[in-house]
Amino acid sequence: MKISPPRIWRERYNYYMLRITQCLDCGRASYPTSLTCPYCGSSNIRTVNSSGLGEVITYTISYFRIEGQEDEVPKVIALIKLREGAIVLGEVVDVGLSEIREGLEVEAVLRRLKIDGNSGLIWYGMKFRPIIGAGIPT
Amino acid sequence: MLSSNTYIISSALIRVGRYFNKSYKDLIRELVAELNKDLPIHDYIDYVVVSNVFSDSILEQLDISTMIIQELNLTPKPAVRVEAGESSGLMALKYAHSLIKSGMTSTVLVIGVEKLVEYPTTVVNKYMVRLLNSDVEGRYDIVTVNEAALLMKLYMKKHGHSREDLTIWPIKMHENAVNNPYAQLRNRITKEQVINSQIISDPLRLFDVHPLGDGASAIVLTNNKELMSKVGTGCVELIDVLHASAPPLTHRSDLLSLPASKYLFSKLGNYGVDLSDCVLEIHDSYTILAYLIVEELGLSDRGKAPYVVTDIKNINLSGGLKARGHPVGATGVYQVAEVHRLLTSGLGSIKLNNSWGLVHSMSSIDNNAAVALIRRCG
Repeated sequence: MKISPPRIWRERYNYYMLRITQCLDCGRASYPTSLTCPYCGSSNIRTVNSSGLGEVITYTISYFRIEGQEDEVPKVIALIKLREGAIVLGEVVDVGLSEIREGLEVEAVLRRLKIDGNSGLIWYGMKFRPIIGAGIPT
Repeated sequence: MLSSNTYIISSALIRVGRYFNKSYKDLIRELVAELNKDLPIHDYIDYVVVSNVFSDSILEQLDISTMIIQELNLTPKPAVRVEAGESSGLMALKYAHSLIKSGMTSTVLVIGVEKLVEYPTTVVNKYMVRLLNSDVEGRYDIVTVNEAALLMKLYMKKHGHSREDLTIWPIKMHENAVNNPYAQLRNRITKEQVINSQIISDPLRLFDVHPLGDGASAIVLTNNKELMSKVGTGCVELIDVLHASAPPLTHRSDLLSLPASKYLFSKLGNYGVDLSDCVLEIHDSYTILAYLIVEELGLSDRGKAPYVVTDIKNINLSGGLKARGHPVGATGVYQVAEVHRLLTSGLGSIKLNNSWGLVHSMSSIDNNAAVALIRRCG
């Protein structure tokens, strides 16, 4: 077993909902959730689900090959600024290598991340794709 | 007689490389054979601190420090493994320094060892993912090289650099490594080779990335002045080892800053370090990081590092992580051993008269950072 059931259950909000922390003092947002604001240290925070909508700050096309996932390269990895202000690292899918660009508007989409053999769990999580419809439900 | 100061009195290194026919124990045996030439280490070592990152992943071995003690027949001496990502080597040095400064022990052997090429590169790459946050980067298998690529793009855009502009660093590192007998890549390279090499994570190419190699290095740290006359090829004083941490990349107000390293460099003035009289070894795991470190050190204005690195003479004379190599857990110990050699008996044919040595290490994109300050004795 390579994927821990309690772990993906515990982290379900971060993995499936892109839950972010909003600071009620400095106003900045961050991902993943934390007990205090990573920018100002305030514990006057609230957690909300991100709209999942954002914009590509910059991106790289990666050919870095990892055992068992050789077929996934090239893949597009991007720094994305969510509309709520939080910056996240993520993979952009359903995009041609000539279509990816800085400023591209993207939306979060639930995708398969990893598979644990033929009988283990499938780990899902948020990736991003160019906006074609609504964001994830909040 | 014990001094209130701590000294590095000897060092041992093997050339970083691909040792398919040697185990980590074989590599350490070679180091110890070199150290034993003066006096058997059994006679004077009180404690062993081992820096290693991937023993549980790649070697399927926990408690590697005890295995090493047993292999060297050093029982009942105590040993411990230190792991703090890519900065492990300097963190091990910090641990050893603390043992001596606290008065708990007098002479410590610090060993850095890493076996990476036990498996093909794609397997080692899988373990490299673990250097980042497994809840964030790990689930997408994002690695440091990807983050370095993102920073390189931001840097090129912000400061108007072409891809060619950024080839100076790897060319310089390969040039330096020619003179370092312990470097993995001792060949000169050209601008064309850099920009035409395989893309790893665009715009980072193969020659912007540290190679994978096995390595082992060791230093002896002591406050025992009598020992200095019996062991080693010259001493340097270990003034201090500083370390700090930084927020994750996505939480930084300036993505092109290295907050932990910057914080540590701001402390150098307290020690009277003169960078112009300093041998520098910095953590250039990826080309872009070298430029950012040079700028954080104040050796260049923001965005100008590619234009000034040619004129900075005493930086990474080893060839750096780029060309000496980056056997992850061993790297920091290599850097310190190289500075010890540069300021005493010489590293290969290179010998310097500088008063200071500064070793900088960090994990991933400055998730944590460490600096060792070294001063010529007398």
